[in-house]
Amino acid sequence: MEVDEKQQTPLPFTGEAQLSPLVSQIVAPGDIVLDLTTVSKTLRLGSGLRQDGGSITVMKAGRLRYSKPNKLWVEGSQRRYIPNIEDVVIGIVVDRRFENFTIDINAPTYGILPVLAFEGATRRNIPNIQVGAAIYTRVVKAHRDINPELCCTDASGKSSGYGPLKGGYIFDCSTGLARALLSRPTCPVLEALGKSLSFEIAVGLNGKVWVNGSTPETIILVSNAITNAEFLTPAQQHIMVQKLLQNIQ
Amino acid sequence: MGSAARRDGRTAIQLRPLACTRGLLNRAHGSARWSQENTCVLAAVYGPKSISGRRENPERATIEVIWKPKSGMTGNKEKEAELVLRRSLDYIIIATLHPNTGMSIIVQVISDDGALLACAINATTAALVDTGIPLSGLIAAVSCGINKEGDLLLDLTKSEEQEAQAHVCLVFPNRPLSMKVETSIKSDDEPVEHGLVTSVTCGAMSVDDYLSCLDLGRAASLKISEFSRTSLEQSQRAVELVTPT
Repeated sequence: MEVDEKQQTPLPFTGEAQLSPLVSQIVAPGDIVLDLTTVSKTLRLGSGLRQDGGSITVMKAGRLRYSKPNKLWVEGSQRRYIPNIEDVVIGIVVDRRFENFTIDINAPTYGILPVLAFEGATRRNIPNIQVGAAIYTRVVKAHRDINPELCCTDASGKSSGYGPLKGGYIFDCSTGLARALLSRPTCPVLEALGKSLSFEIAVGLNGKVWVNGSTPETIILVSNAITNAEFLTPAQQHIMVQKLLQNIQ
Repeated sequence: MGSAARRDGRTAIQLRPLACTRGLLNRAHGSARWSQENTCVLAAVYGPKSISGRRENPERATIEVIWKPKSGMTGNKEKEAELVLRRSLDYIIIATLHPNTGMSIIVQVISDDGALLACAINATTAALVDTGIPLSGLIAAVSCGINKEGDLLLDLTKSEEQEAQAHVCLVFPNRPLSMKVETSIKSDDEPVEHGLVTSVTCGAMSVDDYLSCLDLGRAASLKISEFSRTSLEQSQRAVELVTPT
């Protein structure tokens, strides 16, 4: 059995045997992470993995993650977004048809947002959204053969934050940075910015961030800080934010 | 093997220093720059993205390769390079996962000091990984040749290529990290890296010489894939610094 001999960092203690020695390691496309003949339970494969006969192979580079009881996936960061169900995304309206809005969500194909998928929308009372508007929405259907379908209400029909975004400024980031901005505990750069500035922010998992503030300087500073934070450690992020704040004081 | 050192001081089977930078272009969805000392190639990948109806394939993504030489107009040599590149990448790209889309791979030659096709293949593989396009594995390319004295050389410079009796660009699949349990007798599977993806020869060499080139190239491709893996891990680690884990 070929084992990864380069493994130097100790694996985190989970209290149980790891599913595969490659969990929490960086894997490259083509790596075989699991031989299915050694596993007796059903596994759920997330992004970046596929079943190749009797083994699980990596398709995308990233860090292999395992969450009990049976979820296995590769966490990588790309500029392009591949739609998944229940992701929140920021899209830009490209076209308006009778039944649907066509939305650009930075994915291989445009997304479809039904005109009635808003809170309180009826045939007589459709939302007045123009081409070029930004929308905060979630993905309800995503499959490789169809255009992804979006929805501006949550499961119970309430709008809960979804809908058009007015004003502000949208910029691109990688999907990894977007996940970091949305994770708990709060991302260090947002914490540092929140201590001194007041601004509104919406993050889409498709690599788009919307920022709104009272003055243009605030908006520019927040967007620069977030873009710069991509490759910095938490401590470096704090220092970087302090430097930027000094510039406007 | 000849004992005479080569013009740049290397031994016959020594590779030139490799360097790889990933994610350096702002607008491309993925990019990489690969250099083998003075040969340097920049590869950019756009995709998967929607394409016009005529070229759409409902079963798989359409892959196009554009080769841009350092100077001059594009001609038949560039078209041949594009074809070789596209066929080699077809081996690793899982195109059926993104039907009705297109992927564009643009290769820009920055400097050419021999082993250009090999360098370009290595650069585009790194760029594809950077883009996140699903791949079934990785490939490594190396150039190998025979000089007038009959010595086998690895990683030829441009002057060595011009004086060589024949040279060949060989592309091998990388050896992956594998957790597969080896079943003893039944597997007649040879290791993945024993395969050959592409071979482009220039000039005539004997069959024995060609087989020796294959062996030499295969050993060299292992070193190249090791380097590529290290470079990949470094770039992935950089990306993860944002959240404290």
